[in-house]
Amino acid sequence: MYSELLEESISPKGRNALIRSVLKGAVEPDERAVRIAYSCLLCRRDEQSCVAELRNSDATEAFRRYLIEKGAKLLPEHAVLAKSLDNYGNPWQESRAARKRWAKGLQDKKVVPGKTSTLFYVGCTFALDRTLDDGPKALASLMDKAGVDYGLLLEDEVCCGSTAKRIGDIKLFEKLRRENEKRIRGTGVDSIVTACAGCFKTLEQDYPDLSEEIAIMHSTQFISQLIANDKLHFPKRAVKVTYHDPCHLGRHSDVYDAPRQVLLSVPGLELVEMKNNRQTARCCGGGAGVKTAYPEISQKAAVKRIREAEETGAEVLITTCPFCVQTLRGAASAIGAKIKVEELCVFLDNLAHKREGGRR
Amino acid sequence: MMETEVRDQMLQRLISVLGLAKVLSSRSDLVPYTKDTYRIRYDEDYKYFPDAVVFPETTADVEGIVEIAAELKVPIIPKGGGSNRTGMLVPLTGGIVVDTIRMNRIVDVSVPNLYVTVQPGITLKELEDGLAKHGLALNQEQGSFKVATIGGSISTSGFSRKHQKYGTIADRVMSLEVVLANGKVMRTGPKILYTSTGYRLQQLFVGAEGTLGVITEATLRVEPIPEAKDAILAFYHDFWSANEAALKTMSTCVTFTGGEAYEVEDATSLGAPKGRNGLFYLGFEGTKGEVHAQVEFVKKIVHETGGVLAKHDDAAKFMEKYTSQWCGARAQTGLEDALTTYVPVEHMREFYDKLWGEVMPKHGSAPLPGEKFSLDVGRYRIMAGRFYLPKGQGAWEKYQALLRDIAKLTTRLGGSISSCHGVGIEHRDNLDLEYSEVALDVMRDLKKTLDPDNIMNPGKMLPDKK
Repeated sequence: MYSELLEESISPKGRNALIRSVLKGAVEPDERAVRIAYSCLLCRRDEQSCVAELRNSDATEAFRRYLIEKGAKLLPEHAVLAKSLDNYGNPWQESRAARKRWAKGLQDKKVVPGKTSTLFYVGCTFALDRTLDDGPKALASLMDKAGVDYGLLLEDEVCCGSTAKRIGDIKLFEKLRRENEKRIRGTGVDSIVTACAGCFKTLEQDYPDLSEEIAIMHSTQFISQLIANDKLHFPKRAVKVTYHDPCHLGRHSDVYDAPRQVLLSVPGLELVEMKNNRQTARCCGGGAGVKTAYPEISQKAAVKRIREAEETGAEVLITTCPFCVQTLRGAASAIGAKIKVEELCVFLDNLAHKREGGRR
Repeated sequence: MMETEVRDQMLQRLISVLGLAKVLSSRSDLVPYTKDTYRIRYDEDYKYFPDAVVFPETTADVEGIVEIAAELKVPIIPKGGGSNRTGMLVPLTGGIVVDTIRMNRIVDVSVPNLYVTVQPGITLKELEDGLAKHGLALNQEQGSFKVATIGGSISTSGFSRKHQKYGTIADRVMSLEVVLANGKVMRTGPKILYTSTGYRLQQLFVGAEGTLGVITEATLRVEPIPEAKDAILAFYHDFWSANEAALKTMSTCVTFTGGEAYEVEDATSLGAPKGRNGLFYLGFEGTKGEVHAQVEFVKKIVHETGGVLAKHDDAAKFMEKYTSQWCGARAQTGLEDALTTYVPVEHMREFYDKLWGEVMPKHGSAPLPGEKFSLDVGRYRIMAGRFYLPKGQGAWEKYQALLRDIAKLTTRLGGSISSCHGVGIEHRDNLDLEYSEVALDVMRDLKKTLDPDNIMNPGKMLPDKK
């Protein structure tokens, strides 16, 4: 955000100064204070180079929470999401039943309490965005191929609460968390797999009791295990790809190797890293409500990432978060970039179907 | 603070000249511009708000801003990266902070003439990255390398750890474009390095802390990127034996980019034998043959002075680690301040003993662990250290008395109070120790000539006449 506008008030330094001045009582938070609070992607990229080890992302999230608790109103752009979450259990103003739309032909996969061991937690955006629902289909298909016994909550799935937590509406988050945790516990599963980086971070880090009892895995970790256990193989594919680390999976959860191991298991695939990768990867611009509140700045960040991807000479930019796919795809299309943006499971499942070189 | 009527008129006019996107005026937006990294008096935290922050992108924008300020007699506080430590960015009487950070273009690179012309808001790092594409370098590296801007660096007369070979920013400035307090644009002279015509007006703005005008363009001397770089790190029993090696090196004709002699609490993590906590570091740049010869030459000095050479990779790692500590130390350690005094070599021991043995304890201060003393090797002999601020009842007064005593000690020994952090508010009232009243009057007269209404960063650098 700061690198786009160069206004110190929206830099980590400026935002921290505002937080301190508000807490000290020197400044009464005005409308701009709320805007400033929401001008952060919570991506933690700045923290990588901060020798003082400041936790700017946590401070900003806490500041949003503080402002809301003190009576500040959510930004109108965010209020729409919150209302939908409260009413429908998803931020996209879709009915609860719409959540199973992507899963045609998978109705028999509904989780059976006490019998299913692995829950495939789909998440709102993968389930409801029609341009992204090939993602969950692909992961389901890969799990089928690997013979995994998994189950779905379908229309009973509720938002993990990530959006509510990131925008500081802690009451709403707690309501969603309680509801979600109750439903998950009701299934009796011992592990959860999700392909959404945001859901993964939230379930693993913001559901302390649940994550102590149930193993929570991101799809890349799960697939990586299936490959290591010889349950999944991919045919040869001579393709040059690059990988974008989603902030919630990388910097927030320290998962960098699993997606790369999965990609490198494809014979013939060449993985080329972008200039900024792993801990220093640029944010796609889609995080923490910034895309909703500041679409232009969000797109500028996404374009920068697309340019970095193009510099690698890769044909495909692969990532593992629905928001990253959505945001990067939008930017690539806006600038007419030739590079294709694909979700990892979709990329893998397409490969498995094409069978160019047969099984290894 | 200014009257509401003036403020409203000022804002209206700024917006009509610059557009809404280049003007900030809400209190929440102004908070970060209430101070820089100066340790402001605790009860004055968030006391000094500017009335507006503006983001010019061109010289014409700055002209427009200064014209409004001149007419309304409103203070102008020019700003670069904001990493200043002496309070030169604190808007003591409100006014307009002119944040030059969007004036970040490289205007022209002249490879045959070895110069670059830039807008003032480009950071040192951005400029080095841009110049590298042309095979050139400015060679100005300081702790705030990533955030400090060219305009800020010139206005502070900043340090460079490569000073021995390439000088500091003061030596790089060839020509400047400045918007003066009357709104007129002045080019100080042609974009050439050597001339014997006229006053060197560009030098007047080096270290002027924005009190004479707003720098809108700078032409700077640059050099080709060297063929080879290398470094040497050696361990000694203590700081003084490391300093012997530094002095011996200085007495020869060997060329190096810059260096350090300093003491740490424990150097074993850098591969030092136990108990050898005095460090001596030198950097070299040039042709391959030149650098090889320089390194071998200094290795002999290290051997003769009883030093133990670090492994080659450790020497490179040392500088990286040192830089990272340098950048963030303020935020990590809290209530401390940094010393950047310059004391002639022959008085260094006396300065060291009196500073830590008498002055600091007298005011209840002490060095930060591992940050007691470091010395730049070469002609730019900063004697740097970090110390805790006095605490308890009357802490601020004790702190001011401590600064005064450090200034007395430094100037009595023929040194300078602040060799690279500027004067700002912190050292303003001690400047009378370093300069005669005659010299200060000349400075005041210059200021009056260029800024008769005192709108350019008022209250900074120059002490009031007693």
